[in-house]
Amino acid sequence: MTIYLRIVLGLVVVVYFLLILHFMKKKMLSLKYTLLWLFSGIVMGILVLFPGLLDAFVKAVGIETPMYGLFVFAIFFILVIAMSLTAIVSKQTERIKDLAQGNAVLEKRVRELEKSKLKKGEG
Amino acid sequence: MKVLIIIPAYNEAENIKNVVDNLAGNFPQYDYVIINDSSKDDTEAICRQNQYNFLSLPINLGIGGGVQTGYKYALEHGYDIAVQHDGDGQHDPAYIEKVIQPILEGKADIVIGSRFLSGEGFQSSAGRRAGIKFLSALIRVFCGARVKDVTSGFRAVNQRYIKFYAEDYPSDYPEPEAIVTASLDGAKIQEVPVVMRERENGVSSINLKRSVYYMVKVSIAIVVCRITGRKRRGRKR
Repeated sequence: MTIYLRIVLGLVVVVYFLLILHFMKKKMLSLKYTLLWLFSGIVMGILVLFPGLLDAFVKAVGIETPMYGLFVFAIFFILVIAMSLTAIVSKQTERIKDLAQGNAVLEKRVRELEKSKLKKGEG
Repeated sequence: MKVLIIIPAYNEAENIKNVVDNLAGNFPQYDYVIINDSSKDDTEAICRQNQYNFLSLPINLGIGGGVQTGYKYALEHGYDIAVQHDGDGQHDPAYIEKVIQPILEGKADIVIGSRFLSGEGFQSSAGRRAGIKFLSALIRVFCGARVKDVTSGFRAVNQRYIKFYAEDYPSDYPEPEAIVTASLDGAKIQEVPVVMRERENGVSSINLKRSVYYMVKVSIAIVVCRITGRKRRGRKR
C-alpha cells in the first residue's frame, strides 16, 4: 500500500468515526447497536495504521494484493452487521407481536368493564 | 371440561355472522372467541353489533399470531380444550364433537380434522393436494408424525398444548410447522375425518402466486425445526 493510499484510507476511517459519533450524539443510534460498527472501524483503522498486519494476513490466506484483503475485511463486517440486524428485527417482531396480543386482551377487558359500568349506571 | 373454540378472522365480514350464529345457536355447550386480526372490512363492527365474544388485534399479525392470541386467551381463562375453527365457513361445527373426542378419552394431545381420511366434501385442487402430500411426507420423514392433512386449520388441543402454543406458535403459514414443533415435543397427534366445505364468500388467503413461496418456506421451516428442535420422545406423562 502506498503512503498516499494509506492517508486517504485513514481519512475515510476518521470520517466514519465522526459519522458514528454524530449519529450517537443526535441519539439516532443507541450504543448497544453501535458497538459492532465501532469495532469494525477500529479493526479497519488498525489495518491502515499498521499495514504490516494486513500484508501478513493477505499472505497467510493467499490473497493477491493488500487492497483485496481490506475488501475481505470490509465485506465480512458488513455481513456480520447485516446478520445482527436481521436478528434484531426478528426479536422486535416477536416483541411487537406479544404487545399486540396483550393489547387485544386488555382491550376486551376494558370493553367489558365499560359495559358492566354502564349497566350499573342504568340500574 | 371447558372447551373454547378459537375463530381466527381476517376480513371475514361476509362469513363471520353465519359461522358464529351457527356455532353459538346450535352448539351452546362450547365457548368461543373470535380473533379479529385487524381486519380492514366490517368484521369488527359486526362483532360489536352482535355482541360476539371477540378480541381485536391492533395490528395484523397473520394467522399464526391470531391463533396464538386465542391460545393465550384460553390459557388465561383456564380452558381444558381449545379448538381452532376457521371463520370463513369451511369448517362445520358439527364435527367439533368428533375432533375433541380423542382428547376427552385421553388418547391424544392434539387432534387434526382431516378432509382426506374420508375423502368426502371439499378436497381442494389437485395441485394443492400434491403440495399437501409432499409436506405430509416431509413431516413424516423429519419428525415421524403421521398426518395427512397437514394444512388443516381445524384442530383441537388439550391443556398441555394450549400452554405450549400460547408460549410459542409459528407465524406466517403456521399449520404444518405447528405439527412439527408439537410432535418434537412428544405430542400424541391423531387425525379424525371431517368434511370441509368450500369457503362461502371471499377469497382464500393463499393464492397461486404465494403457493411457491408457501412450499419453499414451509419445507425449510420443517427441516430447520427438526434440526433446531429438541426431540423428547418417550416423555413421561
